[in-house]
Amino acid sequence: MIELKGVSKTYARSAVKAVDGLSLSIGDGEIFGFLGPNGAGKTTTIKMITGVLRPDSGNVSVDGIDVAADPIEAKRRIGYVTDNPELFARLKAAEYLNFVGDVYGVDTRTRQARVSEYASLFGIKDALGGSIGSFSHGMKQKLLVTASLLPDPQNWVLDEPMVGLDPKASFDLKEIMRARAAAGRTVFFSTHVMEVAERLCDRLAIVNKGRIVFMGTLAELKRGQGADGSLESLFLELVDGEAANEASPKAVV
Amino acid sequence: MSVYWSLASLYVRSFYNLPGKKTAGNNPAGKSILKVAGFGALMVFSVAYFGYLFVGLNLNLYEGLALAGMQDILFLNAAVMATAMTLVVGFMTALSTYYLNDMELQLLAMPIRPRAMFGAKFTAVYVSEAAFSLFFMIATMVVFGIKEGPGPVFYLWGAIAGLLLPLPPLAASYLVQIPLLSSARFLRNKKTIMLVGGFLGIAFALAVNVYFQRMMPPVADPAARASAVAGPGSAVSLFGGAYPPAFLAWRAMSEPTAPGASFAMLRLIAWCALGPALVIFFLSGAYARSLVGFNEAHLRKLSATGADAFIVRRIRAGAPYLTMVKREFGMMNREPMYLLNGPFIVVLLPLIAGVMAVAREDSILSDPDLAGVRALIDGGLGAALAGLVGAFLGSGTSIACTALSRDAKALPFIKSLPVRPAAYMLAKLGHALVFGVAGSAIGVGLLALVLRLDPASALSGLAAALALSSLLNLAGLWLDTANPRLSWDNPIAAMKQNPNSVIAMLGSMGLLVGSGYLAFRFEMGTGAVAFWFGAAPFAAFCALLSAYPRYAERRLAAMEA
Repeated sequence: MIELKGVSKTYARSAVKAVDGLSLSIGDGEIFGFLGPNGAGKTTTIKMITGVLRPDSGNVSVDGIDVAADPIEAKRRIGYVTDNPELFARLKAAEYLNFVGDVYGVDTRTRQARVSEYASLFGIKDALGGSIGSFSHGMKQKLLVTASLLPDPQNWVLDEPMVGLDPKASFDLKEIMRARAAAGRTVFFSTHVMEVAERLCDRLAIVNKGRIVFMGTLAELKRGQGADGSLESLFLELVDGEAANEASPKAVV
Repeated sequence: MSVYWSLASLYVRSFYNLPGKKTAGNNPAGKSILKVAGFGALMVFSVAYFGYLFVGLNLNLYEGLALAGMQDILFLNAAVMATAMTLVVGFMTALSTYYLNDMELQLLAMPIRPRAMFGAKFTAVYVSEAAFSLFFMIATMVVFGIKEGPGPVFYLWGAIAGLLLPLPPLAASYLVQIPLLSSARFLRNKKTIMLVGGFLGIAFALAVNVYFQRMMPPVADPAARASAVAGPGSAVSLFGGAYPPAFLAWRAMSEPTAPGASFAMLRLIAWCALGPALVIFFLSGAYARSLVGFNEAHLRKLSATGADAFIVRRIRAGAPYLTMVKREFGMMNREPMYLLNGPFIVVLLPLIAGVMAVAREDSILSDPDLAGVRALIDGGLGAALAGLVGAFLGSGTSIACTALSRDAKALPFIKSLPVRPAAYMLAKLGHALVFGVAGSAIGVGLLALVLRLDPASALSGLAAALALSSLLNLAGLWLDTANPRLSWDNPIAAMKQNPNSVIAMLGSMGLLVGSGYLAFRFEMGTGAVAFWFGAAPFAAFCALLSAYPRYAERRLAAMEA
């Protein structure tokens, strides 16, 4: 379970709030999609959930554990797939997996079984001895996903996970997300791909300029907007509507 | 702005890691001013230090040559040295920046003429070479200016020559590299060319040391020594006489107001412009084509059964701290830029010292002037010197003082892991201390051999080296924790262009030289050396170490990575 209450964040070198009073709660067994245009505050929010960034105000908890008060215990319950797979280029894939496994305290037998399972599924098993720097973008992404699943985390947080994945890997990833949710795990992911959110999410939030402009199910979104279009058109209506409201506040009145 | 200037500006900013234009309110004014002032002071100090060294060299040379009335050969020497230095440094810079990153493949896809692209890169590399050359010429002009008082035209010709002399060597570098990299596909690999460039740099450093050692020491017959190094029959003069740009620079500077001086300068301009013009005109297309293939990666794959066996053999649990230390080793030693400027120093500096000893063709112990020092060496100075040399080598790797900066790209991911920031930073300290121990042992061992120290003095020196190098490494790590360089495009910026490594290097040099002076001044015995250079720094190390984890936790938590 992931819970954010009134979370705000302004970067030291910026005068604008990247995240502004954001509150949301994602229960166990739920797939939650986090949507928004570039610069909306998605990655900043994810970084606060995973303990990378400290919120200026508000509170983030994971499985009821306050991330600020007990970061190590909270982080133990999260598997994180970063939006930047260009990490540790000089390490070999096996070294990276062992690094993550050691940090999360995954024993040898479990580790070998999970590496074998996910590396086979994603088709990178034969590349485990290779240097990460020689991997394609998609292979790096698959490696990050595999590593994030090594500790079998209760909460799986993925930042733009579909970027760079081939259709089969993308399909497999969605299947893993569904399977984990069915097993009572929480899945939280950000995406730009509306189709993915439309087909996968139990609930979703649309964020713009650091604030949630919608949160609920797809059906609720369609009802609330009084439209019957695709998620893409609804998303554009919401985001453009926000922009128009800001440009001419009188229109709201 | 034309395409060429736009590209040149882009390359210059990328090469030298210059910040882009600041937007209002994105940096607190006070902090920014402090940073600029600190960086300015560091630059002034560095330039002053190297300026002092180069002026000293030229002064020795001038005094030697003046005895034979050949002081104007100083310019020929300076022109040849500027040419040689920019040839080697320029060759390495051109090679290491030949393929900057994948950005260049995007440039190839744009409607940009190869000549604009290559010309812009040539210009960006030239900027640092011009600075080197100018520095060399200014050092010579300072000495000659003070001693002989020439008119302002002399300085004008000197400055122009300084700016022009790097052009032909740089053109020659590309004349070799472009055909080579166009034809040898295996060389189109960033790692390979970084290693080649690194080893060329080492060879160059050794050659420069031999040259300096032959010039620097006060000798019984300075005129003969100067004549051998830069006199009319020397290799430098023979090359200078046969190489028109050096010869023309010398002609113009030795008689700056003579009618022939202006003509010599015009010929110098023509000579120096010719190389770049020809290379840019004829080789730009080949250069652009040779960039293709640099980003190709070769992945070794396992067979199906091999993969299963591999998982059983290599996927195994380990202790979290050790796995973090192992990661530090892997990330640093497999990046040529980090390896050559970091851990390799432990091997390189003793090698340079060995070459220096051979070049001087003498030794401390055989020098009759230093015979009286033997008693001091046996009394404790030997242990102190061994300890200080060992500490310098053990802390000279820049591992600790760039530890967080080098990891900037991975920091957000690291911070998401269930590991205490203090443990993560202490793994970095562990990495630095491993090389601290190796450097201390090598440094003390070498000094013990050279100074023929007894075992007690050697052990005392080793204790001092370990304590001092540990303290300096921890201080370096603290510095990088307080002020890491988190935004960079290439590893050079994280390591070589990181002010923390310069501050740490100069700081440790200052501390160690000061300590050496105190050991000599107070004629410390072995016990005193062990206490002041061993026990006291160790106590300081322990005190800092007890405070560091809390500081690291606080600092990393506040970092907006």
